[in-house]
This record gives sequence, structure tokens and C-alpha cells, in this order.
Amino acid sequence: MTVQEETTFVTSEPRAEALKGARDIAPLALGVSVYGLAFGLLAAQAGMNSLEVGLMSSLVFAGSSQIIAVERLMAGAGAVAAIVAGLALNLRLVLVTASIRDIYANRPLWQTVLGAHLTTDENWALMLARRAREGEGGYWYLLGAGLVLMAVWCGSTVLGVVFAAAIPEPRALGMDFAFTAAFIAISRALWRGRADLGPWLTAAALVIGGVASGLVDSSWAIILGGLGGALYAGLARPNGNQ
Amino acid sequence: MSETHLVIAALIVGTLTVRLAGAALGQKLPSRGGWARALNALPGCLILSLVIVMLTNGGPKEWLAAALALATAVITKSLPATMAVGVVAIALLRNFA
Repeated sequence: MTVQEETTFVTSEPRAEALKGARDIAPLALGVSVYGLAFGLLAAQAGMNSLEVGLMSSLVFAGSSQIIAVERLMAGAGAVAAIVAGLALNLRLVLVTASIRDIYANRPLWQTVLGAHLTTDENWALMLARRAREGEGGYWYLLGAGLVLMAVWCGSTVLGVVFAAAIPEPRALGMDFAFTAAFIAISRALWRGRADLGPWLTAAALVIGGVASGLVDSSWAIILGGLGGALYAGLARPNGNQ
Repeated sequence: MSETHLVIAALIVGTLTVRLAGAALGQKLPSRGGWARALNALPGCLILSLVIVMLTNGGPKEWLAAALALATAVITKSLPATMAVGVVAIALLRNFA
């Protein structure tokens, strides 16, 4: 078996692709909305108003970094510590956007900027899963899904500020596990066969070793695992019988 | 500028910079050979790392729910079905087990 070095993906008409992305992201958007409400509640407790939350959600558009930064602020850690924690969590996005480089290639600057800004773990992974299954999916699919996520994230975070008192905790509903389950399904779809075994075992070993030893925290462990697995794949012999 | 506004502004600029840096870096790397193989393997390794970190933050109940979700993913290949089984399983395990 030969490992393909560069794959090209068919992309249909932009409008149809964007609509398909918007539809396919629905179950993930439901999970995002629960987190949005919870973040709005946290932000309200930190004294933020709905305008500040709406601006932050639409322009930062990275849920976990928003949560950790506001949580650090509330803990009295100071602005610098809050910024460092939030950005450290987002460093993995370098790898996320680099790994789908083909969709940003040969586009006007505004499309590259808009596409990069709308790239999140959820629609990135969904697009990759569709490529793995159907051999289709590109810029417009990612954009359609990203716009739905943006609308849901902004709407739910602002609602969370407004209705702060009435919001259930995501964990009590089991909703914290919605993303874990979603990424398990997407991992399964991304498994390309035996050639992935070495890279995946390397990634898993680095993450478990890093976290268990206490040498790195979660956000660095993700980066370490992703880079380590990719490095293995890059150095392994390309004919797949290593 | 309040502390909150400073954090919001820094996260806006920093996060967009990170996203664009990745897109730009991807264009610079060669499209054949080891670099291409590494970039093609990156998404799967990154998502797997994300899942493992999520699971190391949980305990046996989360691991059991994850196993049920994985079984659902292998059998049905359906994202909504896997999410539904995972959420229902963890809610039942946490409340009744």
C-alpha cells in the first residue's frame, strides 16, 4: 500500500457546500450552545455585559480560551496571566489551520482571513471526517458550518449573560461529554488504516506520558501529541511497511 | 482601558494571528515527501490527542462512556448517534452508578 502524499478533494458549488456544512454541524452546534450559556453565566459573574460578551465571542471565537481567560480574571490572576492562559490554549490552532492548508490556497485575502477566523475544532474536524468518508469537502463547507457555529456561540453566550440565574450546569446534563463523544466519532472516521498506527500510538503515548508525569499541562500535551505523531509519519518510510 | 477590555483585545489579536500563522505556514511547507506525510497525519493525531486529554480529565465512568461511544462510532459511523450514546451513557453512569 502506498501512502498518498497529496490528495485533491472535489468541491461542488459554494452555496450547496455551505448549506451542507451548516446542516451537518447541527449536533455539534447543540453542544456548543450549552457551553455558550455556561460561558455567558461565568462572564456575567465576572461583571461583563452582553455587548462585551457578544464582541468577545464573535471576534475571539475560541470557546475554551474565552472560558479559561475569564475564569483566570475572576480568580484574580491578573490580565497578563489570563491572556497567556487563553493564548496557550489556542496555540494548537496553528496546527489546525496548517493541516488544511489546501483550502486557503489561491484565495483572495479576505476569504483566507474569514476562513481562518471561522476555523474551530468542531467544523475543522467535521470537514476532515467528511473528506475521509466521501472524498468531498473544502472551504465553503467549512465556512457554512463555521457561520452556524458563530451564530450559535454568540447567541448563546449573550443569552447566558441575560438569563444568568436560570442556567443549568453543563456537567449535570452530561453535555460536557458531548464533545468527547463527537471527537471519538471523528477520530474513527479519520483512521486511514495500518499506516496510522505508528503516528497514533506516538501521539497517545506522548499525551498520556506528558499528563501523567505532570511535565506538561493539557493544552501543551495536545500540541505535543499532535506534533509527535506527525513527526513520526514524516520520518517513517513512505511505503507503509515500516 | 479596564483589565477585562485588555484581555478581550489581546485575545482577539492573538487568536486571529495564531489562525493566520497556521494557514500561512501550511502554504510554505513542501507538498511532497516527509513534510506532506507529516501534515496529512497531523489532523488525526491532533484529534486523538484532544480525546485523550479529555479522558485523562475524567475517571472510570468517562472511560466506560467513551468505550460505548467508540463502539457506536465503529458500528454506525454516525456522528449524532455517537454523541447521543455518549451523553446518555455518562448521564446515567453519573446519576445511577
